[in-house]
Amino acid sequence: MDSLIKKTAKMDDIDAMFSDLLGEMDMLTQSLGPEMTSNSKRENHFSIGFTDFNESLNELEDQDLDALMADLGSDSAESEGRQQTAVTNYVQTQQQASSQSSAPPHVQAPISLSKMSSLTCSSTSLPPEPPKPLLPGEAEAKSKADKIKLALEKLKEAKVKKLVVKVMLSDGSSKTLMVDERQTVRDVLENLVEKTHCDSSCVDWSLCETNPELQTEREFEDHEYLVEPLSAWTRDSENKVIFLLKPEKYLIFKEPQIFYLWKKDKRFLSEIKDSQKELLLKENFERPSVIVPDLEGQLYLREDGKKTWKRRYFLLRASGIYYVPKGKTKTSRDLACFIQFDKVNIYTTSDYKQKYKAPTDFCFILKHPQIQKESQYIRFLCCDDEHTLSLWVHSIRVAKYGATMYKNYQAAVRRASTFSSTLHLTSRPAPGPTPTTPSTVQRAAGKANGHVPQVCDDVLEQPPDFIPPPPPVCNFGI
Amino acid sequence: MYKRRTPFFVSADTLEETATTPCILERGKGMAVWDLSVTVEDLGPEAPPITVSVTSDLHIGGVILKLVEKSQMKKDWSDHALWWEQKQQWLLRTAWTLEKCGIHADARLTFMPQHKPLRLGLPNGLTLRLRACFSGSVFRTVLGICKMLNIRRPEELSLLRPVEEKKKKKDKDSSEEVYDLTDVPLSSVSQPCLYNGMPAHFADSPKTEKVYKMLSVSQPAPAPEVIAKLYRPASVVDKAHIHSRLDSSRSLMQQGVQENDRLWLRFKYYCFHDLEPKYDAVRLTQLYEQARWAILLEDIDCTEEEMMLFGALQYHINKLSLSEPQKMNSSPAMDDLDSALQCLEVKLDGGETSPQDMLAGLTAPELNDYLKLFRPKRLTLKGYKQYWFKFKDDSISYYKSKEESLGEPIQQINLKGCEVAPDVNVAGQKFCVKLLIPAPEGMNEVYLRCDNEEQYARWMAACRLASKGTSLADSSFQSEVQSIRSFLAMQQTNPNTNNSQADDNINTHSLVSPRYSKKYKAKQLAPKILDAYQNVAQISLTDALLRFLQIWQSLPDFGLSFVVVRFKGSRKDEVLGIAPNRLIRIDLGVGDVVKTWRYNNMRQWNVNWDIRQVAIEFDGNVNIAFCCVTADCKIVHEFIGGYIFMSTRNREQSETLNEELFHKLTGGHEAL
Repeated sequence: MDSLIKKTAKMDDIDAMFSDLLGEMDMLTQSLGPEMTSNSKRENHFSIGFTDFNESLNELEDQDLDALMADLGSDSAESEGRQQTAVTNYVQTQQQASSQSSAPPHVQAPISLSKMSSLTCSSTSLPPEPPKPLLPGEAEAKSKADKIKLALEKLKEAKVKKLVVKVMLSDGSSKTLMVDERQTVRDVLENLVEKTHCDSSCVDWSLCETNPELQTEREFEDHEYLVEPLSAWTRDSENKVIFLLKPEKYLIFKEPQIFYLWKKDKRFLSEIKDSQKELLLKENFERPSVIVPDLEGQLYLREDGKKTWKRRYFLLRASGIYYVPKGKTKTSRDLACFIQFDKVNIYTTSDYKQKYKAPTDFCFILKHPQIQKESQYIRFLCCDDEHTLSLWVHSIRVAKYGATMYKNYQAAVRRASTFSSTLHLTSRPAPGPTPTTPSTVQRAAGKANGHVPQVCDDVLEQPPDFIPPPPPVCNFGI
Repeated sequence: MYKRRTPFFVSADTLEETATTPCILERGKGMAVWDLSVTVEDLGPEAPPITVSVTSDLHIGGVILKLVEKSQMKKDWSDHALWWEQKQQWLLRTAWTLEKCGIHADARLTFMPQHKPLRLGLPNGLTLRLRACFSGSVFRTVLGICKMLNIRRPEELSLLRPVEEKKKKKDKDSSEEVYDLTDVPLSSVSQPCLYNGMPAHFADSPKTEKVYKMLSVSQPAPAPEVIAKLYRPASVVDKAHIHSRLDSSRSLMQQGVQENDRLWLRFKYYCFHDLEPKYDAVRLTQLYEQARWAILLEDIDCTEEEMMLFGALQYHINKLSLSEPQKMNSSPAMDDLDSALQCLEVKLDGGETSPQDMLAGLTAPELNDYLKLFRPKRLTLKGYKQYWFKFKDDSISYYKSKEESLGEPIQQINLKGCEVAPDVNVAGQKFCVKLLIPAPEGMNEVYLRCDNEEQYARWMAACRLASKGTSLADSSFQSEVQSIRSFLAMQQTNPNTNNSQADDNINTHSLVSPRYSKKYKAKQLAPKILDAYQNVAQISLTDALLRFLQIWQSLPDFGLSFVVVRFKGSRKDEVLGIAPNRLIRIDLGVGDVVKTWRYNNMRQWNVNWDIRQVAIEFDGNVNIAFCCVTADCKIVHEFIGGYIFMSTRNREQSETLNEELFHKLTGGHEAL
């Protein structure tokens, strides 16, 4: 609040310059509008995205539009509460209003920086971290610094790409949301859970992308930025985003034995104790490097061009999927690389027996997310049964996303348990292991982002992995 | 040489008959005096043993006192102790009497220092000469060595006898350089205070400082011939022989290790607790070196793709270690605001420039060139056609000519997420960038042909960065260009026509194991490594080390120590693999894993020391028993106990090591 008071008390030159600056930004934004749209149309030659706002808005039905407007209203109300300067609020509503009317979704922010010069000059002498009890002069300096920060945020804001997304719900209805490129799937999921009043203590809520042309489906990972995969859709795409419960989403963390002890018989696996599950999680996910299930077995591969399916022996490793070439053994050095996961995503399929004459309907494909139609660059694999399919699909996700996926799960569990505790839903105890992240893992995961749910750092008392058996007894055979 | 006399115990009545010295009378206890001869090592190997007169109730301390008196040498004897040769044991309890120790006149005793110089081979191939404890258990000796070398978590390491010594005696490797640390006073090692970024005892002299640098910075790549010469295990059985580990509960002397012998210090237990680059400079480096050698010497198998990534990481680590020695702890990232402001400041420093100029300065730089384009997809036989290309941000536009570049481009290609591959033949002066650009219908294949290496390096670097979503403006652009140049240099067919950058020229064959050295020529290998390199080129030295360790740890065979065993009831030898969390049984014929047992299901394990059999009981009434063929069963017992100990460690008891528990779990019959 103090910045507000300050502001009204003395409209110093910074404020004047500030609003000046923002005004200019808007001007530029608007004037650049038409140019940019033509630009993005040219880009469309390669990625015809769902990027054009006018168009996507026009596609919406009236009721959707109303919902969206309400959405925007609440958003700006929220932001008012969050950021207490009047200026912010003004800019935000402005920004949104302009984007609704004419401005294209992403706008470069050309801004005359000479205006900023006095700002920087006055603030370079600031202490980097203001101490707690602020002297009057320092308080002033701090508010200046805040404003500069704000200005810089605005600069970034102007570049932010936003999409209006229609999400299908499992009951057949839909919700329309505005998603900006900084929002992760987790952010959107929380938003949706709140809006649809569904069971928020469940970690299995997912956003899926369906592609009717390829008959595929993929659940987005919680850490992905939703805008990114959606930008790959073609203009005439019939793809959909669906919000639904996916019990298998985090199965590998809830029942790790199914994946990590897959060679053992089913009866043994069903009897496994919780402590053993926790140990498996610890061994495979909480060490510096994530261990990928050592899957291997016969799968059918759809041969390029020939449209036939051929059986091959495949192995999964952290570095990719390999197969055993003819006449070779399955030792590491003999393996031939089938695919690595850097550039491809995994999709499950439906009804491939009919569409591609697959041996079974339990197929999955690997493809670059940009590819939307059938192509020789898509890899088709087919499993014998549903269980095998599930093993491969989720193990490949672990190989691709590694520790990030585990962190997503831990964040989801934490979020779900706080929801249930605030709602006094005591029925469900918080599952999952203790949220400790070894520092090395964090280092390796990298890519810090302000929007990623924070991993909490509290280190809980950890028991040893298991109670060691007593030291051996000496048997001196005579 | 030794005077052997049977001690005579004299009772009061036989006193008259024996003409012994008056000292018996002084003691008045009726104890006979007898001579004990002790070799004093410090007098030299030729000197005769010193004989002291003792009684059976004299304690060891007293013997030592007499010895010192008689030797007439003035020196610090505090580290010395008595070694009993026949019994192969130290007499360390100075309060015990000779009688209690069971020493008679025929005992051959040697008086010598407990700490002696040892030639210690480190994972990175360096040999240090340092003083190690020969009297305590090897476990303790390793603790001491690690304290001196500043390696945390010493329980994960152990000493072993070198393998190649028996293999190649003929080679004259007397030329090997040994770094002497025997002068480092052991007393100063106790407190691990850091001085100038290194433990104080290393900061004493420039010589030891240099040694510390070698410990904490990874060593340059060895020549491929050196790798090829070193011993490589050819099968699982070979790997099973390697584990000539020393017994950690007995002392070096007890295991026949002599002064100045050569031993290896290696990580033994493959669970590296609480690895923290900030404190673990030496540990991290040595761990990396051990991993690197395990991969180069094919001690652990990996696929070709993995090998290329390991090669790329080694290349990267080598390069960074040369350029930024001792910069393990990177400075904390600058605050958002600070960096942004600084950036603005720089821009504004230029004085009075027009806003347009500054705008231009803020936008990304461009590349402009005439290049040749080829699209194999279109079934035309036209081949390469020349266009004016412009690279800006993350996309390429091309125009009919330079003059038309102000107008609409023929096409604009966004490179984000595309695949970039080299298509280069240095000898044939062919420098192409192959692009696979994802589109809804599939991938579009595009070739850009450059005129020369220089042009190629710039365009290739730009494409690589753009595919990862980084623009030309990024600071990494120049280093990317540089690394592409140096990889091109590696593909030169005749290495004599080298340009000046000699140190940058790493032989790619020294980055991969001999199998791949043989399989590929240098000009085939370089693009493969470069391809893997593009994913790691931007990471810091510490991150590169950690990444290397991560990939190593995610290999399926990681952490396995092998021993050839004979299972009870089986008629053939099999291999037992000991991993951090499980035991696996491997069929020697096929090499397949037959069975896996996890430690957490273990009820108890027993060792029958006489028939040398290990018996283990698991949950669900599963019992196994085996005899060890290639190693002592103590070694196997120690491995299992050691891993169980490792799993009991957790965050809380961070610095204190529960040595007692370790000994209990690994000691075997000595523990009781």
